[in-house]
Amino acid sequence: MSADLTIAAIYADLLGTYGDNGNAATLLHRARLHGLSADVISIQPGDPVPSQADIYLLGGGEDTAQTAACSALRADGNIRTAAERGAAILAICAGYQLFGEYFPDSTGTRSPGLGLLDIRTDRLAQRAVGELAAAPVPAADSTEPPLFSERFTGYENHAGGTVRGPSVQPLGRVLAGVGNGDGTEGSVSGHIIGSYLHGPCLVRNPEIADQLLRWAVDRELPALEEQAVSELRAERFRTVLGH
Amino acid sequence: MASGKLPWRTRSALAAGRAASALSRATGRGEGMVIGGQVILRIAPEAIADLARNRVAALVSATNGKTSTTRLLASSLEQAGPVVSQPTGANLSTGIVVALSDADPTARAVLEVDELYLPQIMRQTAPQIILLGNLSRDQLDRMNEVAMIARRWRDMLAQHPDVHVVANADDPMIEFAAAEHAHVSWVAAGQAWASDSAVCAECGTLLRRDDADWSCPGCGRRRPPPDWSLLADPWRAVDPAGREYDLSQLGLPGRFNAANATMALAATAALGADPAVGLLRMQSVDSVSGRYGVFHVGALNIRLLLAKNPAGWTELLDIMPPAPTPVIITINSDYADGRDPSWLWDVPFEKLRGRTVVATGFRRRDLAVRLTQANIDHVVIDNPYAPDAPLPPGMRDLPQVDCAATYTAFQQLRTSGVPA
Repeated sequence: MSADLTIAAIYADLLGTYGDNGNAATLLHRARLHGLSADVISIQPGDPVPSQADIYLLGGGEDTAQTAACSALRADGNIRTAAERGAAILAICAGYQLFGEYFPDSTGTRSPGLGLLDIRTDRLAQRAVGELAAAPVPAADSTEPPLFSERFTGYENHAGGTVRGPSVQPLGRVLAGVGNGDGTEGSVSGHIIGSYLHGPCLVRNPEIADQLLRWAVDRELPALEEQAVSELRAERFRTVLGH
Repeated sequence: MASGKLPWRTRSALAAGRAASALSRATGRGEGMVIGGQVILRIAPEAIADLARNRVAALVSATNGKTSTTRLLASSLEQAGPVVSQPTGANLSTGIVVALSDADPTARAVLEVDELYLPQIMRQTAPQIILLGNLSRDQLDRMNEVAMIARRWRDMLAQHPDVHVVANADDPMIEFAAAEHAHVSWVAAGQAWASDSAVCAECGTLLRRDDADWSCPGCGRRRPPPDWSLLADPWRAVDPAGREYDLSQLGLPGRFNAANATMALAATAALGADPAVGLLRMQSVDSVSGRYGVFHVGALNIRLLLAKNPAGWTELLDIMPPAPTPVIITINSDYADGRDPSWLWDVPFEKLRGRTVVATGFRRRDLAVRLTQANIDHVVIDNPYAPDAPLPPGMRDLPQVDCAATYTAFQQLRTSGVPA
């Protein structure tokens, strides 16, 4: 492959309900801004998942589609190979839940996940629908700088509450909305980021996009601000948090 | 109206509702539909059932095309006498009760109904037929999941075994809703957006697709053989006997309106009226509750287009004039628009390349990021209708500009603009 990096967008027809295409588009866009060439390969159910892509993207989906996607990923096996070799992975909402030990299926019964993240998801008492804002958290190892310095913004629409195991850091601390359901939002473990942020996530949080790119190319990338994105983020935080 | 046969509670509720509507109009607060409907339903919760008794010919529901299909079917059925319908596409209980109360009480009713309200309105109105057009992602903050609506519709039909259903065979979600029903006219009306019906709603298996045909390798569900079909080049509908109805003379543009007309023709036949006569009446419909109408707003003449979800946008972009003609796109995120405009990333805005887009509405900044990444020239303007708005060069000189808007923006322009 001639490009600097390969981005695999996994099962958009099953896990792409909330404009999750925007995550792949934003990675491609940010890669170009950083002077990197990138290819996006769109993997549909039935296609083999590549084992050697640099970044893997999974989006949100409905209950039956989530279960179908999880079965297909387990049968294929390559997402596990990729996770175990430390590939960068962003998993949103239904995609986030299915990375865990279990998640609720359309009847609310626990359905086994891929077990690649030490998280467990059960039904929330009430569906979480609305704007979600979160603040970055310190690194697990306090001698390290935190992964993120900017607030997170997005829109959540899910019925699951997610509990993290001891090895998994939260992505952020909830400022508005529900997130995982315990005051935290999302998960970070190795090079896997899971989150309930739609919006799409990377469109509204380019710092996460850049972190995935850093992991993929294994070098530092400068902060790059785009005015249209800064204006969108400022408007969202003003509307949701008042500042 | 001759309301002698109505219960006293409903009669007094109607009087109160009319007074509230009139007051709302007189004080300039709007058209008075919603407030009037709220007053009626608060006083007489059974008013819809009282007003509907034995005269509702059809209910129409779908994610896209409800209002246009309702108008086409209502026009067609006027061949057999007066027909009442909502004048503005107000498709919740409030709009429905006002539509039924304002009209000739002997007129048959053709009503469009919000997807979530359909089971309730079905119980209250006991229609002769029901049209189910399509289901795709729309206002997910309110609708949650597409498959969930299909399941509710299936449960609803199980409780109304005698109603006749006119259903789109090309949409697997619609087929799922109507599959168990005994009386169905299946219409091959096409499906422009398949991403919300990738998996079988019955068993979760990935559907197999071959052009319009689809089947489920898991449980054996498949596209039913259609009774009516929409065919292209030129657009025409074919009935169960093989007779063709030329749709190229419709006053409404686009593939999706040819599909709406095919559904309306099948419904016309199901109601015992003449589709050929109905088609002639449908051809005279050229604007539906402001859709495709031309309005004078500020210094611009705009052709108003309503689009609120990826399936609708995908087809709407095709009827806009070619580049380099600039267009206005207005994105809001109020309740009726859907609170979350993530769907902007599912719309193929790349089709607008070569034009300047005026991005406006409360969520103009979300649109601006989408257009930036798509490499489409655009300007972000709070109010493009202000005299000093920094519009693209030459835009003010155009005889007409397309303005595509989400629901609340569309309604605001429709009511504030002057028909041109």
